[in-house]
Amino acid sequence: MSSLANSCAIVGITRAIGLKSDAEKKTPLQLVIEACGQLMRETGVDRTKIGAVFTGRMPRSYMTLQYSQSLVNELKIAPMFATEVTSHGGGALGTIELSVLALNAGLIDYALCVTGEASPIWIDMIGGSANWEADLQFEAPYGPTTPALYAQSACRYMHEYGITPAQMAKVAVENRKWAVHHPHAAMRKKGLITVEDVLNSPMIASPLKLLDCAPWFPGGIASAALITRADIARNICAEPAYIAGFGQSNTHEWVGERMGTWGVGPFVDGPSMVRTGASVAAKQAYAMSGLAPKDINIVETSVPFTYANLLMLEEFGFCGIGEGGRFVESGGVDFDGGLPFNTTGGYLSFGQSGQGLYLLKEIIEQMWGHPEGYPVPNVKAGLVHGHGGPLACHSVMIVSKEPTC
Amino acid sequence: MSEVKAEMADWAEGQKVYAGELFLGLYQPSPETAGFWQGVARDELLFKWCAACARHYHPRRIICPQCSSTKLDWKPASGKGKVYSFSEVHRPPTKTFAKGAPYTVGLVETPEGVHYFCRIVAEGGAKIVVDAPAQLEFRELETGQRLPVFVVGGAALK
Repeated sequence: MSSLANSCAIVGITRAIGLKSDAEKKTPLQLVIEACGQLMRETGVDRTKIGAVFTGRMPRSYMTLQYSQSLVNELKIAPMFATEVTSHGGGALGTIELSVLALNAGLIDYALCVTGEASPIWIDMIGGSANWEADLQFEAPYGPTTPALYAQSACRYMHEYGITPAQMAKVAVENRKWAVHHPHAAMRKKGLITVEDVLNSPMIASPLKLLDCAPWFPGGIASAALITRADIARNICAEPAYIAGFGQSNTHEWVGERMGTWGVGPFVDGPSMVRTGASVAAKQAYAMSGLAPKDINIVETSVPFTYANLLMLEEFGFCGIGEGGRFVESGGVDFDGGLPFNTTGGYLSFGQSGQGLYLLKEIIEQMWGHPEGYPVPNVKAGLVHGHGGPLACHSVMIVSKEPTC
Repeated sequence: MSEVKAEMADWAEGQKVYAGELFLGLYQPSPETAGFWQGVARDELLFKWCAACARHYHPRRIICPQCSSTKLDWKPASGKGKVYSFSEVHRPPTKTFAKGAPYTVGLVETPEGVHYFCRIVAEGGAKIVVDAPAQLEFRELETGQRLPVFVVGGAALK
């Protein structure tokens, strides 16, 4: 497995943003194609060379069967592989993981990986989203919302480990400090917040209050990345971002099924509302890369609630099991001096829009020294986490400025 | 959302499940779940049961992950349980559900080993907390649908 480490690199990564307030509203397909066009122009790798196109799941705001063919058709490419990687939000990084396998097999030379979503522009997200996150037949009839589904894990996390609302709030406070410096963060103009602001915000679904929850990004984002083998990477890009390690773990479908899973993945010793496939994916990524948490300079996660950020810091190994609250409370992810964590403002302050590869782009651009938001100095290696379902699908990738082993 | 039944599979042959105003279309009772809803219509909560492994499952289990048997039966639940996790919903998903807000949804741990996701109702001044004993009852929710719920502090527990 270790032969995969650093075998491939990302040689270009672009994005397109469309806002709800734009005079001409854009579809996810328009945004994705815009990002792909920019990518091909910047890298000089044109449509005739693309051997694979992998996309994250079909956008909710552009539901069409064979979505990957919409991309093939619009770009007029004829790849050997074209498919959606539908591991919920985890599929975004899954696109790159599959690319690495095809590139290593020598079947292709260039893989195009894309994600895109614009649902906040086109869809009623409040009324509709519970029906996206809940089992429509067995859960939705009881009236849950997305926060209420995630709150089941928050309830157990607090119960089993004594995590407090103030500890949870702290991560929202620190994420906001990054967001005020980011030109596209949803909460940029709302200014800084305090732990008290979070604790005093209206209850949404106990124990989650308004500021414990990610807002919707006021538009859509598409991202596109070009992946190639390390031996040709430097011909395309002066500073390729090496794919040092990756892992994935997918465990269940709905909240109501979570406790019915045992013997596999993070549930080898029995089911849990708290432990997740993120720990399994992170272990795989560390093992492949030869790196440990202490070697990581920047972390981006796609979890949309405060408590889950604490939990992910445990799962990624930055603190012990059950220590997420104390780690964050004692400055572990402080904007000033802590581990750079969710440096766009994260889902909590940048806003969520099925960002997919946008989080990977943030790490790579920090590595290159020209991020869109606040710069993190000397980024050598970063960890990005793609997640979906109520903590059901997890993908972790470690990218590095230099080969790690 | 209006009904667009004509475009959707109707495995349930007309028996409809709603979530608020939302007609669930494809997510109607299907051959692997119809037995559950037939039970609900009789005020019975049924779990899938693998006799070989003596294990209960919920929802819609087609294959026993323990022994790979596909010969699973429906078996009535004891109706006993305790709160495993819960959340009080203050911002409901639809106007119909808003009529009952705030209400609580959560997982109830049953002696059968199933963690059942449902509405949890507090009665007689009881508070919904983790490990609180809960008893199965059937209640009509805001949508008009009569569903299995678990009651904390109800008369049946006294």
